[in-house]
Amino acid sequence: MIDDIFNFLDPYWWLIIGVVKAGIIAVALLSAVPLLVWLERRLMGRFQVRLGPNRVGPFGLGQPIVDVIKLLFKENIVQSSADKFLFYLAPAIVVFTAIVTFSAIPFGEPFEVGGQRVGLWGANLNIGILFIFAISSMGIYGMVIAGFSSNNKYSLMGGLRASAQMISYELTLGLSALSVIIMSGSLNLYDIVKDQSGSILSMNLISQPLAFILFFIAGVAETNRAPFDLPEAEQELVAGFFTEYSGMKFAMFFLGEYLNMITMSALVTILFLGGWHSYVGLDIPILVFAFKVFILLCVFIWLRSTFPRIRYDRLMAFGWKILLPLSLMNMMAYGVYKVLFAA
Amino acid sequence: MCLNPALAPELEKRIPMMEFLDQLWSLNLNRETVFGLFEEGLVFAIGMTAILASLGVILCATPIYSALYLIGNMICLAILFLLYNAEFLAVVQVVVYAGAVMILFLFIIALLGAKKEERELSFQNLACLGFVGLLFCELLMSMMVGKTKPVEGQVTREMVQQVGSAKAIGIELFSHHIIPFELASLLLLVAAVGIICLAKFSHKPLRKRTRV
Repeated sequence: MIDDIFNFLDPYWWLIIGVVKAGIIAVALLSAVPLLVWLERRLMGRFQVRLGPNRVGPFGLGQPIVDVIKLLFKENIVQSSADKFLFYLAPAIVVFTAIVTFSAIPFGEPFEVGGQRVGLWGANLNIGILFIFAISSMGIYGMVIAGFSSNNKYSLMGGLRASAQMISYELTLGLSALSVIIMSGSLNLYDIVKDQSGSILSMNLISQPLAFILFFIAGVAETNRAPFDLPEAEQELVAGFFTEYSGMKFAMFFLGEYLNMITMSALVTILFLGGWHSYVGLDIPILVFAFKVFILLCVFIWLRSTFPRIRYDRLMAFGWKILLPLSLMNMMAYGVYKVLFAA
Repeated sequence: MCLNPALAPELEKRIPMMEFLDQLWSLNLNRETVFGLFEEGLVFAIGMTAILASLGVILCATPIYSALYLIGNMICLAILFLLYNAEFLAVVQVVVYAGAVMILFLFIIALLGAKKEERELSFQNLACLGFVGLLFCELLMSMMVGKTKPVEGQVTREMVQQVGSAKAIGIELFSHHIIPFELASLLLLVAAVGIICLAKFSHKPLRKRTRV
């Protein structure tokens, strides 16, 4: 019986490998989030000359576990004026899109196991980067729907702010990534990383510094992190689009934000920092990749504790009047360079 | 075979069912048929979901749910593109329609405050439903024709696999259809300029600002 099943599935090993990989990536990603929250609280503590959580476990490492258990057992409150179905749908959309986005990110060279080629990615898509933009733009729906279904004007304002901000910064994000795509000639993230192999000078950060800065700023705005955390500005909007959420549903928005942070750092690593190429001899692809992502996550936290939140009209003006023209010019320049010199 | 003659008619009744099971087992259940059936079933299921979602768009009483059904419909279309190896088109479908256009729809619905519409059943509604049903039946009848003849163009399956669907579309668009493409972009530019004219340069302000 078992043999029959194995014979039947023999040419479909890729399916089984894919399912196992999907499971591993999703679990690893989800368990990285509590650690990231711990890291953020500890680092923020240090930045503000205080200790941060240090009571539960060594270095306060038990804190994220305790927090997760607390959130899981909290009472589930849905106010009577809310649209029940949409109210439940919104956090699910946010987390779903955040996890699916990461599936297209490669983090190492493929290797062979038992005659099967296993790539270190969820899926190596020919349109990898476009796929990531597409799915992450679907994540906006979660926020708009959350804001709308809560039937609360602060939530609605938060949702509208989130969507307006993310749509405007998505343009800059896409256009600055486009210069990388033009130079490497491929939409495939694996090819983009392979294009940067060799010496440290072949890193896109060196050849396209402006695109890197634009992409990173737009990435911070896309993930709704400070100083662009207008959608959840607590002084004006209580907590923005998730004001009415409590317990695990609130935690899912939290989860979505941190997952997006990890995905954005991974994307910056792939596009500009040479992915899993270490350039200094140490050649363990996953560790190198994780180290680069870790550094970028620390920069995210550093930004949060350094900059004050900017005003909403300035945010919009900054996005449309400074970042967008700059990224367009950047794309034009690299396009002209590619046609004239590198073709 | 049958020990109790009184049960014979009942057994006879079960025979069609058993025949069906026999047919099912005699089907050559190798992996190609199983996965082939799975793929065809997937296409059918997604197509049906798309139709149901588009029905939801017009039959739903709450505007926000209509918009959500429309998003669902667009995602279904994107998955259909994906199943036919048109990855680039699928992603563009999601980015442009589901990601950008529909967000603006939701925006406006949320700002205007969507209220549940009163639903009344009038003659016109029934006539419309009848018409839609008729069209749907005709579509189903077209399934009797069987497989349509595949159209062979410049972009073949081999070419798409060789250069990728994004490049294939680029080559086609910028070599054969460059003038329509540019004209379409001009059209969009006209629309954008028109919107700015309407929004920015009104001669009479609708209401004066109270603050100085």
